Amino acid sequence: MAEAENNENKVDNAPRRNQGLGRILVMVYAVFALSSFARSIFQIATHFEQAPLAYLLSAFAAAVYIVATLSLARSGRTAWYVSVVAVGIELVGVVGVGLWTLLDPQLFADDTVWSRFGAGYGYIPLILPILGLAWLLGHRPRVEVEGRP
Amino acid sequence: MTEVATDGWFWVGTALCAVSLVICVVMTFIRTFPDDFSILSVAAVELFLVVYGVGAIFRQGGGEPLQGELWEFWGYVLTALVVSLVAVVWAVTDKTRWSNLVMAAVGPTIFVMLYRLQVIWFG
Repeated sequence: MAEAENNENKVDNAPRRNQGLGRILVMVYAVFALSSFARSIFQIATHFEQAPLAYLLSAFAAAVYIVATLSLARSGRTAWYVSVVAVGIELVGVVGVGLWTLLDPQLFADDTVWSRFGAGYGYIPLILPILGLAWLLGHRPRVEVEGRP
Repeated sequence: MTEVATDGWFWVGTALCAVSLVICVVMTFIRTFPDDFSILSVAAVELFLVVYGVGAIFRQGGGEPLQGELWEFWGYVLTALVVSLVAVVWAVTDKTRWSNLVMAAVGPTIFVMLYRLQVIWFG
């Protein structure tokens, strides 16, 4: 099944996943990727020992956002799968860490993007993966490789 | 939200961000291409950021104290400058109705960053 899939990068009329409305998704992801990356670099560089677990989690979240941004912006089947995985990890992360911070507030000594379901960021971290998954599932990669619709 | 000291810079920037947001959202409804007014409104925000940055150089050079870290402040200023540019490029490379909505994301984003800058400046 995985054989014929290397060709699909050449297909220009692949799903318009990263165009129109999809552009906004990429833009918002880019903003989150940039800000969470910058923030975690700052935290790790200046006061890592204060809350190592929280800052490592911030860095991980930033990495997920960066991967999601790049894969959402790209066309093609591989990018679609990478996007689904990245956005899925993000959803699990925000729900998991959200529950965690609710049940055991002592665990994280400082806030992360995903703490309290992303309340510090207007709950956008919680809404974003849901919108992202809905968008991706509504724009699956085409099955056929040749021929225009 | 905790109380944070605000100044004229913050309110001018906030007003520009709000105007840009409104223009871009309206253009999303009435245009099927990236409208000049959307681009100009984001350009106005970008211009404000440039003036804000130059102003900050003089204010900090003149000895105004900064509560937070100096490089965190400038990290935010540079990131804000980049965000607006990236948004416009990303918006106009796909000319649809939604280009305006991509640019609409700039206003709220820059507003949050201006708020963070205030916190860094005044503590």
